[in-house]
Amino acid sequence: MSPGPLRLVIVDDHAMVRSGVRTELSSDPAIEVVAEAADVEQAVAAVHATRPDVVLLDVHLPGGTVRPGGSEVLQRCADLLAAQPADGGPSVRFLALSVSDAAEDVIAVIRAGARGYVTKTISGPDLASAVHRVAEGDAVFSPRLAGFVLDAFGTGAGEVAAVEDELDRLSQREREVMRLIARGYAYKEVAKELFISVKTVETHVSAVLRKLQLSSRYELTRWAADRRLL
Amino acid sequence: MTPTAPAAVTPAVAARTPARVRPPLVRPTEGRVAGGVAVGLAAHLGVSLTLVRVGLVLLTVLGGGAGILLYVWLWALVPTSEHVPTVADAVDPATGRDPLPRNASPASVAGPSGPPGGPARRPARPRVSQARLGDILLGGLLLFAGLSIAGARFGWDVNAGLLVPVVVVLGGAVLAYSQLDEVERSRWAERSGVQTRAAVLRIVGGLVLVLVGVLLVVVRGGDPAYAGRVLVAVLTVLGGAGLVLAPWGLRLWRDLDTERSARVREAERADIAAHLHDSVLQTLALIQRSAADPAQVARLARAQERDLRDWLYGARPEDAATMLAAAVRQVTADVEDRFGVAVEVVVVGDRQLDERTAVLVAALREACVNAVRHAGAPVTVYVESGPDGVEAFVRDRGPGFDPDAVPADRLGVRESIVGRMQRHRGSATIRSLTGDGTEVRLDMPDERPDADRPDPGSTGAADPAVPQTQEAPR
Repeated sequence: MSPGPLRLVIVDDHAMVRSGVRTELSSDPAIEVVAEAADVEQAVAAVHATRPDVVLLDVHLPGGTVRPGGSEVLQRCADLLAAQPADGGPSVRFLALSVSDAAEDVIAVIRAGARGYVTKTISGPDLASAVHRVAEGDAVFSPRLAGFVLDAFGTGAGEVAAVEDELDRLSQREREVMRLIARGYAYKEVAKELFISVKTVETHVSAVLRKLQLSSRYELTRWAADRRLL
Repeated sequence: MTPTAPAAVTPAVAARTPARVRPPLVRPTEGRVAGGVAVGLAAHLGVSLTLVRVGLVLLTVLGGGAGILLYVWLWALVPTSEHVPTVADAVDPATGRDPLPRNASPASVAGPSGPPGGPARRPARPRVSQARLGDILLGGLLLFAGLSIAGARFGWDVNAGLLVPVVVVLGGAVLAYSQLDEVERSRWAERSGVQTRAAVLRIVGGLVLVLVGVLLVVVRGGDPAYAGRVLVAVLTVLGGAGLVLAPWGLRLWRDLDTERSARVREAERADIAAHLHDSVLQTLALIQRSAADPAQVARLARAQERDLRDWLYGARPEDAATMLAAAVRQVTADVEDRFGVAVEVVVVGDRQLDERTAVLVAALREACVNAVRHAGAPVTVYVESGPDGVEAFVRDRGPGFDPDAVPADRLGVRESIVGRMQRHRGSATIRSLTGDGTEVRLDMPDERPDADRPDPGSTGAADPAVPQTQEAPR
């Protein structure tokens, strides 16, 4: 990560939301908003022009051809998503921000490469810490996203991976972590509850994110196929 | 039949010139003897009824039954009316427009100039004038054919071999032309290239085919090939007719389709408008009125948001009586409404409500009320319906409290949560972490016939370490 404040791009089609987020994050001196964008084209251009550390990405964006618009931004910025982009610069991380309750929209942006998902009702400090966490390469799960994950992997119905790295199911530990997040626990509280370190919690969450992006589980692939992500 | 309207005059002009207004040609039900044709004709032509009747009889006797044919034809084509029409009926009072095309062919009268209140065609001005032009041509052709035939009877030598194809070609042209209303024609004219050429090609091709077919029938050659020729002729005529009619059918179908989708869109739009009006607009009005009360505004906004979400994302609040997830959402919504505190709900899995899960929902409600009352936002509710039962968690961020220190008279926690769950062979545990808030855990394990499971009544059961590989005997 580059020294100095964390560089952030806000992508949302509502000017009110953009200014609201900007105001809420202004209390954190470690975050600098370098650009704003209101649609898919602007977002792709702004991200390539400014190379921010984190992009706060609205799931539903006007413009573009793929629905939801947020996943198209991710697809067209795919060259910057890799751990080490081809041009040698730092990689750009995306955090999805949405009011949507529709699981398929959220899953679509996660599968397209977003590192996390938070709802627009999130408080300012929570949003700031989520941005920092994503910038450090961790995944950010809201309780709602954790609920989606538990549902999508059939964990609620008792399906648990026998092997740790099985892609289509969550392991026992991952399930516990997801359940605690769904219950409203912060990572620190999850760590305390399970007697593990926060770092381990982050590892589990990142593993779940990877499964979410790579799994060929029917429910996930159906969502992805509907949105032509595969 | 007396052709009155001069075909040279532009039809639109003729339609607007009330030179001599005639009452519309209809068949009145009053004063009729048989079909009302003679009465209507007399009123329309302005001659005496007796004259018309005598004329019809004479035509029948002298014209080889032509009078009866004419009568039947008019009877079939002319619309009926309650009373004998007057001149006043001829001018449509609504538009001041003369609805009656005065021309030679009565066939056109059946269409655009139905009696007031009758089954009127849509009042497209250009169509009327065009249909009229076509009708005039058609009428002229029929008249020409009739005169020729009559002439032939009286000894004039008419070259049938020449006459019939000409008549057919003209008739086909009129048909093809009258199929397209002005809008369609101008649309085709505007378009350049393939589409226009294709259209012209289609019409011309159709006409040629019609002509060829008719000629084949008329020019009867040698007998051996006759049957084959007739067959070819019939096929050709049918093909030609199909080609000529295709644009008309296509247009009809397209119009229908457009209309149908427009209706669906309209219904959707009305549905959305109705919903927005009933909910969002009302709430916005309420919010403006109670702008001085932030708590009230927040409550209203939150309730409206929830309502809109349910509607947008297809949640079915009416399921609240039968399904767990919907019941949980309803209960938490009630709490939000009553206390104005946001409750975030995550539900994993779903199942039918039964007596015991309904108890769990009731206890959940108490736990929520407790949380919002003593801790405030954010309150998180997590409900998971698994193969072994239902678990629910209510988490708040309040200062926390010692459950054992709660006075015995405080019914809230002790009775309505813990006692209620235990009576139904479930359990409730309350964990309070000072500074970290409180979490109430509700557990309602499914009851199984086999008795080798631990007593579900004991609190703090259902450890995640319970072997998940165990097959549910269901």
